Amino acid sequence: MTTEVDIPAPPPAGGSGEALLAVRGLRVVFDGFVAIGGIDFTVNRGELRFLIGPNGAGKTTLVDVITGLTKPAAGSVTFGGVELVGRREYRIVKLGIGRTFQTATVFEDLTVLENIDLAASFRMAVPKLFLRRRGVTDAVAQVLETTQLAELADRKAGVLSHGQRQWLEIGMLLAQDPQLLLLDEPVAGMTKDERERTGLLLQQIAAERTVVVIEHDMEFLRRFASVVTVLHEGKVLTEGTVAEVQADPRVQEVYLGRKKEDAAAGSAAVLGLEATP
Amino acid sequence: MSAPVADAAEAPAAGKPATSGGWRARVVTPQLPWRVVFIVVLALGLLAPFVLDPAFRLPLFTKYLCYAIVGVGIALAWGHGGMLTLGQGLFVGLGGYSMGMYLKLHEAGPGNVPDFMSWSGVEKLPAFWEPFRNPVVAIIGVIVLPIIVATVLGLLVFRQRVRGAYFAILTQALTAAFVILLIGQQGYTGGTNGLTNFGSFFGINLFEANGQRKLYFVTAGVLLVIFLLLRLVVASRFGRLLLAIRDGEDRVRFLGYDPTVIKTIAFAISAVTASVGGALIVPVVGIINPGMLDIVPSIELVIAVAVGGRYSLAGAVIGAVVVNWARTNFSEDYPSGWTYFQGALFIGVIAFLPRGIAGIVPQVRDGVPVLLKRLGITLPTRSGPPGGPPAAPPPGGAPVLIPGQGTPEAKEAV
Repeated sequence: MTTEVDIPAPPPAGGSGEALLAVRGLRVVFDGFVAIGGIDFTVNRGELRFLIGPNGAGKTTLVDVITGLTKPAAGSVTFGGVELVGRREYRIVKLGIGRTFQTATVFEDLTVLENIDLAASFRMAVPKLFLRRRGVTDAVAQVLETTQLAELADRKAGVLSHGQRQWLEIGMLLAQDPQLLLLDEPVAGMTKDERERTGLLLQQIAAERTVVVIEHDMEFLRRFASVVTVLHEGKVLTEGTVAEVQADPRVQEVYLGRKKEDAAAGSAAVLGLEATP
Repeated sequence: MSAPVADAAEAPAAGKPATSGGWRARVVTPQLPWRVVFIVVLALGLLAPFVLDPAFRLPLFTKYLCYAIVGVGIALAWGHGGMLTLGQGLFVGLGGYSMGMYLKLHEAGPGNVPDFMSWSGVEKLPAFWEPFRNPVVAIIGVIVLPIIVATVLGLLVFRQRVRGAYFAILTQALTAAFVILLIGQQGYTGGTNGLTNFGSFFGINLFEANGQRKLYFVTAGVLLVIFLLLRLVVASRFGRLLLAIRDGEDRVRFLGYDPTVIKTIAFAISAVTASVGGALIVPVVGIINPGMLDIVPSIELVIAVAVGGRYSLAGAVIGAVVVNWARTNFSEDYPSGWTYFQGALFIGVIAFLPRGIAGIVPQVRDGVPVLLKRLGITLPTRSGPPGGPPAAPPPGGAPVLIPGQGTPEAKEAV
């Protein structure tokens, strides 16, 4: 677990080159609607990967399948060589995969400290859970420090602001100490300041782990992303650096086409595609 | 985006009593009023058997305490774990019949069958009765039987993610089935009449005033031990996890815990408390029969806990005692009116006191400032200079900034 304050350089585009997560031929169907229609997707160890795509592209569904929430119709997901499809959610967590949700879900009746402490204690044998928590373990204290929530440790999570909740959720994820983190729109609804802080936090986290981030915010992407995978209608559209992806006419079409149909979505504007030729 | 200003301002104020040390800091804590209440209640509990009439009022009071034992278990499963169990009668019955069978065999004497069996023409003691001749086996039965039943049920049901109303209905259906079984097997279970005619309970003569006092102390002692044990459970990581599951079971899975296991354990604990309460009620009222553990009494137990406050173990005790005491007194004057009154009480509590009697204090504490504000009255303590430290701590938590020293759980549970 890292508490280093200096921000490491973004990891090399391809990570270490060793595949940590491999999705092969994945299909997900909801009542006849094909949410994911055959995806091959690989994340290398140590990578910080961004996942973008218009609404309904299948980004969250992909994360849901990896973490065991959704059962696929076909295909396989392996993590360090271990098949994940068919495993229960908590077993996948125990293998070392953690995730956050689009709307930060923290336990409002518990304090910030208790939220993080629970996240850190999941490998504890059940009888040990009956012992009263005495003080704060080093790991939990470090997470409080990293997420800058130490001052709020004894507040109920219910009183936190939106940004603080997102950090608490990331903090809970850190406390789990997973090898692979899957973050679903961690900066959605945040102020510019909060986004900047979250980005730095992510870089810090990504220095030692593999991170997959679903994100729309182009400015955020340009600032922090190395490799971007674009999903569209349940398929991988393209993959590459931010500049490559932005220049891809298919990506422009997907986003701009969407924009004409549905101005409210505004994905293209967020992506900043008008600015690029 | 940074921490609220109030936090930084409160830090020195909160640190002061802790750093100055001494007995005052240790005694004068936010929990002090609750500790005083607890000690007063204990003192009253010690006085009760010498004040109440041992032939009538005392056994009634002891009976309320038996319901309180069942109640704290319901508060754990329902209030903390979100498992609305409308069928605690099943576990009350397991404990009650285990105890009743032992007492009945003890009464009959070695080699004899209980009286009701010979009336039904059963001359040989059924095999499942035989072990209950031994008091140790009976007591083990009181504890182990509900654990087995609750664990099997919990693992099956919680794994399938059966929750809420479906779980409540399922527990109720099982209780109904158990009652039908008991009534149908007249020769083995005493049928509708149940098991009765006990003269003694582990050497305590139930017909004597002193015997009733001893029985009271046994019951009150068991309640105290179970209450304190469950308080430890609630304050532990397990207790926090249970709250987390109540509020977001699906999220807990992604924390790496299996909610099925945690819920099953909590359900089994509540089953054991119900069983112990059921076992103790047998000598107190002198009978165990299907009517005592049917659906209606099961629901009444839940109502009592709701009235007292399901989020608090102490609330469950208060509810069980107050509601059953009210029932006794009300029924003495208006024999048929109680059902209506109980219904009205339940609706009233749900509508106006969702946290029950135990929630009155926090509700008033949090509600009065809001009310005053609405009426346009500003409290002098809250109108400090702008930017200055607020005089009152934020509701719901003491301004303790030392990690791990916060005490929200202590406040909540008492």
